[in-house]
Amino acid sequence: MQVSLNWLQTHIDLSSYTTPQLSDLLTFAGIEVEGIEVKGLATDKVIVAQIQSFEQHPNADKLSVCQVDDGSGTLRQIVCGAKNFKAGDKVPLALPGAALPGGFEIKEGKLRGIDSNGMMCSSKELGIGEDTGGLWILDTDLPIGKPINQIVESDTLLDLEITPNRSDLLSHLGLARELAALTGLPLKGVRDHVQASSTTRTAKADEVTLAATDGCPYYTARIIKGVKVGPSPAWLKSRLESIGLRPINNIVDITNYVMMEMGQSLHAFDLDKLSGGIVVRRANEGEKILALDGQEYALLTEDLIIADHQRPLAIAGVMGGEETGVIEGTTNILLESAYFTPSGVRRTSRRLSLHSDSSYRFERGMDPKQVQGGSDLAIKLILEIAGGVAEAELRVAGEAPALVSTVELDEVRTHRLLGIPTLTTGDAHDILEKLGLIKQSANTEKSLWTIPSYRLDLHRSVDLVEEVARVIGLDRVPSKFNATFASGDATDRHYDHAMQLRQALVNRGYNEAQTLRLISTPQIEDALGNPLAQAGAAMLKNPLSEDLTALRPSLIPGLLASAALNIRQGASRLRLFEVGRVFLKMPNGMVREEERLAILLSGPASPSSWHGRVTAAADVFDLRGVVESLPGVSALETKALKDNGTFLMHSELKIGNRVLGWIAQVHPARARQIDARQPVYVVELLLSALRQGSTGPAKFTDLPRFPGMTRDVAFELPADVSHSKVSAFFASIKEPLLIKSELFDVFTDPTGTKLPVDRKSTAWTLTYRNSEKTLETAEVEAAHARILAALQKALPVTIR
Amino acid sequence: MVGDSIHPSTGKIIVLKPALLNPFWRFFGYFWRFHCWPDHLLSCISAILRASSPPFAAMLSQLDSLKTEALTALDTLSDEAALEAFRVDYLGKKGKLTALSGGMREVPADLKKEVGAKLNEVRDAITSGLTVRLEALQAAKDASAVAGIDITLPGRPGAGVGSLHPLTQIRDLAVRTLRRMGFTLADGPEIETEWHCFDALNTPTDHPARNESDTFYMPDGKLLRTHTSSVQVRTMESAKTLPVRIIAPGAAYRRDEIDATHLSVFNQIEALYVDTDVSLADLKGTLEYFFREVFGPTTVVRFRPHFFPFTEPSFEIDVKLEAKGKEARWIEIAGCGMVDPAVFAEISKKRGDSLFDPEKVTGFAFGMGLDRLAMIMHGISDIRHLIENDVRFLQQF
Repeated sequence: MQVSLNWLQTHIDLSSYTTPQLSDLLTFAGIEVEGIEVKGLATDKVIVAQIQSFEQHPNADKLSVCQVDDGSGTLRQIVCGAKNFKAGDKVPLALPGAALPGGFEIKEGKLRGIDSNGMMCSSKELGIGEDTGGLWILDTDLPIGKPINQIVESDTLLDLEITPNRSDLLSHLGLARELAALTGLPLKGVRDHVQASSTTRTAKADEVTLAATDGCPYYTARIIKGVKVGPSPAWLKSRLESIGLRPINNIVDITNYVMMEMGQSLHAFDLDKLSGGIVVRRANEGEKILALDGQEYALLTEDLIIADHQRPLAIAGVMGGEETGVIEGTTNILLESAYFTPSGVRRTSRRLSLHSDSSYRFERGMDPKQVQGGSDLAIKLILEIAGGVAEAELRVAGEAPALVSTVELDEVRTHRLLGIPTLTTGDAHDILEKLGLIKQSANTEKSLWTIPSYRLDLHRSVDLVEEVARVIGLDRVPSKFNATFASGDATDRHYDHAMQLRQALVNRGYNEAQTLRLISTPQIEDALGNPLAQAGAAMLKNPLSEDLTALRPSLIPGLLASAALNIRQGASRLRLFEVGRVFLKMPNGMVREEERLAILLSGPASPSSWHGRVTAAADVFDLRGVVESLPGVSALETKALKDNGTFLMHSELKIGNRVLGWIAQVHPARARQIDARQPVYVVELLLSALRQGSTGPAKFTDLPRFPGMTRDVAFELPADVSHSKVSAFFASIKEPLLIKSELFDVFTDPTGTKLPVDRKSTAWTLTYRNSEKTLETAEVEAAHARILAALQKALPVTIR
Repeated sequence: MVGDSIHPSTGKIIVLKPALLNPFWRFFGYFWRFHCWPDHLLSCISAILRASSPPFAAMLSQLDSLKTEALTALDTLSDEAALEAFRVDYLGKKGKLTALSGGMREVPADLKKEVGAKLNEVRDAITSGLTVRLEALQAAKDASAVAGIDITLPGRPGAGVGSLHPLTQIRDLAVRTLRRMGFTLADGPEIETEWHCFDALNTPTDHPARNESDTFYMPDGKLLRTHTSSVQVRTMESAKTLPVRIIAPGAAYRRDEIDATHLSVFNQIEALYVDTDVSLADLKGTLEYFFREVFGPTTVVRFRPHFFPFTEPSFEIDVKLEAKGKEARWIEIAGCGMVDPAVFAEISKKRGDSLFDPEKVTGFAFGMGLDRLAMIMHGISDIRHLIENDVRFLQQF
């Protein structure tokens, strides 16, 4: 909210505070100062001048050449682009040498060949108002030659963030009240407008009917006849302009002024355009209204409207209608001052995306006790400024709801919650009294307080404690620190495990990525067709854009997108991984959340350096090697799966019966879409399965005391007999002396010259050891021979 | 040592095992090593020498010239293989000195001492000459092995340099710090019920945050949690005893357009401490320690009163950031407060017991955006860097 310091000072004398002090004071009372702007002209070279005569510029259709009296005795010639003036008007004139806001300095010069010795200005150009409509036409009684900065006082504008619970601060009086409580300074005038000056009578049914009291329990109308609608006086315009409101006409300006002055939102209708009395009701099916912003809004039956007996006049609490607004020529008006319930206004305003200063206040809750006071203040100003005669009595329908009551302050609770040993009962009571609360009764443990009607946020004991804490500030709260032992549970272990995995991958040269959990519909393709995929992706009901429509069912789509981005940036050696949550749509329609690890590998196997620029591309075995190095992974088994459109060499990874995840090469067709020049490999693993492999502390195996012996064996076998079959043979053979079998070479010859293409040659090292004694050569030879014989029997091999 | 030899290719001295030495060296080496000549042996040698003086004189001069010849030859040798050949030539089993020493048998007993001394002198001279020459050659070889290496060249990259994502790093820093303060981790689903995300946290039914324009919903009416505070609710729902002291790092979602300062999915860390006597003083102490640990011991934080539906009193926390040559700025970094009794009441209603009776327990909660923390800490200007995973970005951390 924009607040004018000058305006505020009409309620409280803040001259003993500097702006930074004031800003701190507000900030530490929970009213955040988001910006401070000083308005007004520093230069005295902008003066009041009178346009004596003007003529069309000979060389430019849109320019005029004006002769202007600047008080020096000789007329000054100014070329001007504005059109909103006539001879005799007084306007601000910036003389050569004047520096205008924005660092723009006025110089003598020529415009389209005609001398121009200064510039006539709009209020916006001077940084005083918002009006860009043309020259700022000044009051005719201002003396010519007087510097503008002696006429328009400078002002400081505070941009405040008022929290949603403090609707009472959404006016200058409300803020002044708060500042009075915080500073101890007195208010210059009234504290609130609860005390009304007008007399009231119950509105007749044909004058005001409340047909939806849940949305509007209380409505008042006052009739003023014979007003003269016209521009507002300078003081009113400048008040509104100072906080960024555009002056419209005196009646509308007065309603806006009252809202910003004391918080009551009002609306003035042109009485002569109403057919019959006011009906506050829900909109009918299909009703529409043309609002003051020039837009037509289709209303729903849940929307509260102000209507006459024929049509909607206003969207209650949100915006008035164009057709019944007060314009020049209006003579009789009906001034509405009412209380609308927050939820209804919020719903309608949000649904229509129509937000106004009025809806902002009603949504947060207004003080119903000031409905009449607000009306009274406006009537007083209307009669002063626009003339006319007001009906003696305010027509009232319904009753102002009681939104506050008495609240108890509990001493024990206060101390327990705040932990301030130095806080006395007197301190706490003092604060509440300054805030306008009235003590009803008190004993040593408890006190009872009457809440001012504008403090709609104070209902419970804890709300009063909060007020005390807010005003005292946290400086008086001691810093206490009592750590207690906390035993970790599974979540702690899972966190540590995930960090351990991350660190293992970082140590292998991988970069951790974090991709968005939301992906696009096309990206879902990258997540399907793998053994971990379930029934697809969980779609959002209300996505924000096409790019983010689904929760990721896999980490792969995000990593592929990151790979694409890096490839576009010229990177070729990609080592990315991510640890994070995925969302699986299960066949039964439920969504399961699961933690996974995914790795993406592409590009040269080692980084280029002066030791060698070009290295071979990494392949699937590099990636598999990384997986095998992870904590908890041992005896990794692969089960080949059918290729699909997105993945080749697609295999399920298992440890025993436990599914660990899957590994694949991204299909070259897909890789080409992201401009990858080298194969892209991915693996995705279940964190839960990885955790199962790393349970408990490792158990020590005694080191061998006797030397072992090794024997190498090379054999040929058909190319389609997989490594896993051979290794399974060695793993299962019952030969007590054999303790290890290790593959050290695989040879194939695609040309068929050294070896038929359908054959391969592999070489293994077999290690023998007896844990009880040093082996005899003869024993080893015998064992080796037995193994080779068994191998030849079990598999179609030819020993070389 | 006698009997050691030099490996022809590596240049290393090989200590030969006793079994490999010839019997002569086993015998003679014994005396040479221990300089202990038994008396009866010495008297025997001198008797032989005295008995036949001409071979004795010839032998002495032969030894002298052998020494001269050997030492001259040594100087010309320039590699280790030649040194080994030299050793075999002079000191080997069939070497020249060995052959000469065979003449000792004919030396009269009373002269044996003199000849033996000579023999030893020549052997020592050749052996030490050989050692000196060998050491010189090795030194030259060692020097040339590293000659010309430009030690300023960069190291081998190995597998390359990996990196933890800055968000992981900041999250882990926060987690480690809070764990030292006695908090344990808690977790909860990201697809939440409206009750866990809003109702239980005292959020009014018509609060704007519940709106479909602000929050992502699933077709079944569940939503994507808008804050990790829902984990507070989950934890209290299932807690068995007090105190509850948890932290919950995790993702949260808001229906915001992605731009330089907003992500629709972002990261938070949440803390909750509930016991029978938790006060604002505990909250203040915990957070002050926390921020000093994260941002350094001189960090200044301020607590501004604020409003949140689920805490009262509530505060926002600003950290003072000071950069050289710039005016210090207060950066809003976290929200916190004392758990609103309405939250305890709602939890109690759901649990159906009195563990969280609002009249008996108090608690504090705080939450902060980790993305923002990472941006402040590392000076990252655009939040989108955190999700784009440009390797040039990732490798900076």
